[in-house]
Amino acid sequence: MTGPGRLIVFAAVAAVPAALVVLPVAGFLAMSLFRVEDGQILRRPSLANYAEFFGTWTYLGTYLGTLWLCFLVTAICLALGYPVAWFIWRQRGRRRYLLLLLAVIPLFMSYIVKLYTLRAVLGLNGLLNAALMGLGILDAPSRAFLFNQTAVLITMVVIYLPFVILPVFLSLERIAPSLVMASGDLGASALSTFRRVVLPLSLPGTVGAAVFTFVLALGDFVTPQMVGGATGFTIGRVIWSQFGLAYDWPFGAAMAAVLFATALAGIALGALALSRQRV
Amino acid sequence: MRGPGETLALWLTGLVTAAVFAVLYAPLLISALFSVVEVQRGRVLWDTLSLGAYARVWSDPTVVAALVNTVVVALAAVAATAVLAVALALYTTSDGAIGRRAIELVIYLPFLMPPIVTGLSLLVASAEAGLDRGLLTIILGHIAFVLAVAYRLVLTRLQSLPASLTDASADLGASPMQTFRLVLLPQLSSAIVSGAVLALTLSFDETLISTFLAGDRMTLPLRLWAMMRVGFTPEINALVTLVLIVSIGLAAAVAWRMRP
Repeated sequence: MTGPGRLIVFAAVAAVPAALVVLPVAGFLAMSLFRVEDGQILRRPSLANYAEFFGTWTYLGTYLGTLWLCFLVTAICLALGYPVAWFIWRQRGRRRYLLLLLAVIPLFMSYIVKLYTLRAVLGLNGLLNAALMGLGILDAPSRAFLFNQTAVLITMVVIYLPFVILPVFLSLERIAPSLVMASGDLGASALSTFRRVVLPLSLPGTVGAAVFTFVLALGDFVTPQMVGGATGFTIGRVIWSQFGLAYDWPFGAAMAAVLFATALAGIALGALALSRQRV
Repeated sequence: MRGPGETLALWLTGLVTAAVFAVLYAPLLISALFSVVEVQRGRVLWDTLSLGAYARVWSDPTVVAALVNTVVVALAAVAATAVLAVALALYTTSDGAIGRRAIELVIYLPFLMPPIVTGLSLLVASAEAGLDRGLLTIILGHIAFVLAVAYRLVLTRLQSLPASLTDASADLGASPMQTFRLVLLPQLSSAIVSGAVLALTLSFDETLISTFLAGDRMTLPLRLWAMMRVGFTPEINALVTLVLIVSIGLAAAVAWRMRP
């Protein structure tokens, strides 16, 4: 095929992804430079939205709070998900396959349904309160579990945990059994085999899982909306409100651009950590 | 031989696993239970036990409309995605393809971006293009989201096929179109079906992108979200249970197709 022919084929093939992804992303980045005045979008590019975002503590503080929340969600998901993945990895045969299947299925369970049931569990008349009162730990139902930042944290951990278990398991699975056996033959204890062989070799999946969880939690706006109440605000929820009631698309787009940059930075940081690990 | 330390570690992680699975499967158990009995002030009223909620939920026309929308969106998005995934994979594996890495990056991007960014960028784009929000915009959003998965599956299969297959077909006098139809497509079909089922599962549950693009048309997750704000009724629980059963069925179908 000649040069121009190739270009035409390229243009035809690239047209759909370009229309679905490249143009929309470019469009929303351009939108972030506009302003809204008197309910009209003013198409005069400026960085005023970004200045407003970084100059107003309400927004910046919410953003930093969201970063901290997502960090906590990621840390707790790893702390719970890694042992689960390790346990499944140590099983053999049918039991291993069955446990893996049980770990994967929640990935496909409806997100909105999980939110719905967690609300029922965490609420004032919910199962958690009933259980704590039944055990004698609480005398009266507590409002501590719903409609605040803790509720957002608990709910996000439950929703994003399956996203940690699978990648960690897959990277454990790739470790050659001979390496683990060799370590044992050379006199290493089970703990030092884990620390020096298994853990380092499972890092790619673990870092990948951490990045994935962080990015998903970062952009989640329905969870804080549903269980966050008046205090559980995240940046995703603020962005969403700009496209609803507040009706300030350019400002919402600017905050989303910051979110986008943060997500890309998280992905880049994960890739960097892995490339250093290999050296 | 297992040392005592390792046995202890297996016990502890086994306990964590049991607790995590209990929490992850609680939604199914809770909604199934509360779909057949009523609860008041945290107490289960066992004498209200009935399956009536499963019948009553279908008398709500908004639920039926939302279900129809979900099916239409999923089928249209999956059909378009399957065609696109095959075309894109054939292109990126062809000799002398230009911009291969750029195309792959663009395909994977909506899967890496937070869904809120995908949703609002498509919202801004469709507003700029003068496209009203509705089923079409939801379908476009779902295509952007699930394309990465379908493309990846088709690409992996395509790369595992020996080049001699297409060479032999060409040597025997087949046109490129005949080679595609008679040689490649049969080899790709199982990967395409796996990709389609996976895409269907994702589309069925997709909420975050759809909220931006739906306008006043509702898919099932959006309808459920609206219903949840009202309260906690047996009808909602019945619908939730059905949604979970469909999701788990689709997931099991994916797992069955991809079993080792």
